[in-house]
Amino acid sequence: MTTKESTHPAEAEKRNAQLILRARDFWAALVLMGLSIFFLWRTSFIPLWGENRAGVSGGDWYNSAALVPLGIFSAMFILSLILLRIAWRDGGAKQALSPLGIGWSKTEALRFATLAVILFFYIAGLVPRVDFILCSGLLITALIFGFHGGYAYRMVLVAAAVGLAGLYAMVMNLPRAHWTQHDDDWLVLTIWFALTVWVLLADRGSRLARVIPVIALLAPTLLVCAMAFGFRQNVPNRGGLIFKQIEYHYYVTLKPIWSGK
Amino acid sequence: MDFLLSQLAGFGVALTALIVDPLTYVYLVTSVFLGITFGALPGLTATLAVTILTGFFGNKIPLDYSMIALLGAYVGAIYGGSYPSILLNIPGTAASAATAMDGHPLSKAGRGGEALGLATTASFIGTLIGTVALLIFVWVLLLISKNIASPEKALLALFGILLSGTLMSEDLVIKGWIAGLIGLAMAMVGMDPLLSEPRYTFGWSYMLSGFQVVPVLMGAFAVPQIIEGLRHLELGKMVALQGRILPNLAAVKRHMPTITRSGVIGTGVGALPGVGEDVAGWVSYGVGKTVSKDGKNFGKGSLEGMLSSETANNACIGGALIPLLVLGIPGSPPAAALMGAFKINNVIPGPTIDPAIILRVVAILVLASFTMWILGLFTARVFIKILRIPQTVFLPVVMVLTAIGSFSVGGGINDLYLMLGVGFVAYFMNLMKYPIAPLVIGVILGGLFDETFRRALFLSDGSLGVFVSRPGAAVLLALNIALIAAQIPMVRRPFQRRNRKEV
Repeated sequence: MTTKESTHPAEAEKRNAQLILRARDFWAALVLMGLSIFFLWRTSFIPLWGENRAGVSGGDWYNSAALVPLGIFSAMFILSLILLRIAWRDGGAKQALSPLGIGWSKTEALRFATLAVILFFYIAGLVPRVDFILCSGLLITALIFGFHGGYAYRMVLVAAAVGLAGLYAMVMNLPRAHWTQHDDDWLVLTIWFALTVWVLLADRGSRLARVIPVIALLAPTLLVCAMAFGFRQNVPNRGGLIFKQIEYHYYVTLKPIWSGK
Repeated sequence: MDFLLSQLAGFGVALTALIVDPLTYVYLVTSVFLGITFGALPGLTATLAVTILTGFFGNKIPLDYSMIALLGAYVGAIYGGSYPSILLNIPGTAASAATAMDGHPLSKAGRGGEALGLATTASFIGTLIGTVALLIFVWVLLLISKNIASPEKALLALFGILLSGTLMSEDLVIKGWIAGLIGLAMAMVGMDPLLSEPRYTFGWSYMLSGFQVVPVLMGAFAVPQIIEGLRHLELGKMVALQGRILPNLAAVKRHMPTITRSGVIGTGVGALPGVGEDVAGWVSYGVGKTVSKDGKNFGKGSLEGMLSSETANNACIGGALIPLLVLGIPGSPPAAALMGAFKINNVIPGPTIDPAIILRVVAILVLASFTMWILGLFTARVFIKILRIPQTVFLPVVMVLTAIGSFSVGGGINDLYLMLGVGFVAYFMNLMKYPIAPLVIGVILGGLFDETFRRALFLSDGSLGVFVSRPGAAVLLALNIALIAAQIPMVRRPFQRRNRKEV
């Protein structure tokens, strides 16, 4: 077997990839099994046999709201058992606990973890609480600078920058009633400005470094204005630091000019 | 004959209405251009183009115009994938993977201009073949589908999920089915459609209305691609474009049999529920290799090989819209995104769809393919320049587009949380080689399956015989059982043994 693997590196690589996949399948099967059992238990809360609720009959079993979910989660449980058997048979269980078996390299783990931090704090922390132009400008700057060259320290740096801004917004202005406050807007503006300066210094003379601030400013501004004034749709955080000014001048300064009022 | 004439007359009226409206051109040129750009940039796909535009245009402009934008982007993106396939040997979309096999060797041999010109023309003719099939078959099927009732609808929805799960799995077929089941399970969240019983809401009022289609689409198709694409990638050296792009008529005529054959194959594959343009391209390439006189040169720079896949993937668009419009079952992942756009506009594709919408779709496809042809032939060099933009620059802007598009559809900030959650799940599913399209199709068809399955049982007082007593339902049930049985080793073994004996 060893000789064979050494003489056919492509085949060995294929076999290795298959092992990694089966190790992941082993974990996935366990997660799916747990989820299907949990949801089968939750389904038991929905009346199946026509129970009475507040004196009203819930109907027959074939009309129950639990019928289809019961089928779905039972099928998922059976399929997860089959997947577990396949993973076990193909050696996935043996590899399941080794980092190589999971196929999780350090570089890839860092890339994913930093991206997950950035996306989580952008969506959960910044978009609801901070001006959309500011937080999206920070996001664009962070993602381009952090992930363009594949440098680990840049990924960590930008994740820390977005994470700090997001964490501050979440901690200081957690309840919806605080979402209109501007302290987090100022912090994001400062971090964005500092990161832009860092980008310009780190990649001095590069064309990309000069383009990043332009894209980071123009893209979200154009998008949010098109959405709010072109399509007349709701946009995140209308009371944000910059958008509030744009909206005011759109309706008070600009619109009367072309409406002839 | 009368039927055909009335169809053509209806199509003529729809086409004229589009041509005389100046706004048509604004949406058409912009969306086809955007579509080609999305297709041309490796890492961005046709599904992503249609998904993002669904968030942006879905319910913000009248449906008539949003259909132009979405179909224009769909047609453009499928064609746009041919640019990096031919010039970089990197398929811009999965649909163009087979194109790279012959397109790149052609451009390395100094025939890039010729390859691009013929690919553009073949994509144009392919789209038209799919559109003609759509115009004819959609009506025939609509007449048949008038007899479809709840049992058939439930079994059709199940068939769509099972078939897409079976055909789109790269690894194990059960992974496709599990993806479909996860989608179905997500569709169960919220008030149930018959008794208004809340299910799996965990006391959160947002969940009462269930998972919205657009955030799920954005999460399933956009977020994993953004996570996957944000990595440093050396694109390799682009082959300089040599030769004239404008094809000569004699060359097009010479390859007409290949183009026609591939167009028909692409349309047929597209009409299968849940099977996308990538499968169409490969099937047509495989058939071409077997039947073409030039088959031995496939993979070495054969024009016939390139045209086989490039025509089929565009012809697939018309085919994919047939099950969508007739049965409400998307024929491909981008068609699933289109269905999302229909849903947020309260249009329910299926036997009850307004015939005017179908005629308009056909007219838009004709104009979109023509626009794609013109843009492809005369502005190709612009798209080649766009190819040089690294995805690490483009994807952050796509993330912002995704966020604002998802937010503005209606659910506000909760839709963004949903999008992100679905996105992370879909990323890990991709990592473990689970297809995402069955999940989305499951979410879209889950409500229909739940409602029609229970209604069928309700009308038959709980008798399961309702699924075998009606001929249509019996056939569909047999198909569903066959699809599952075909994957059981015990059932497969005798067939495999018999096949071996025959060989």
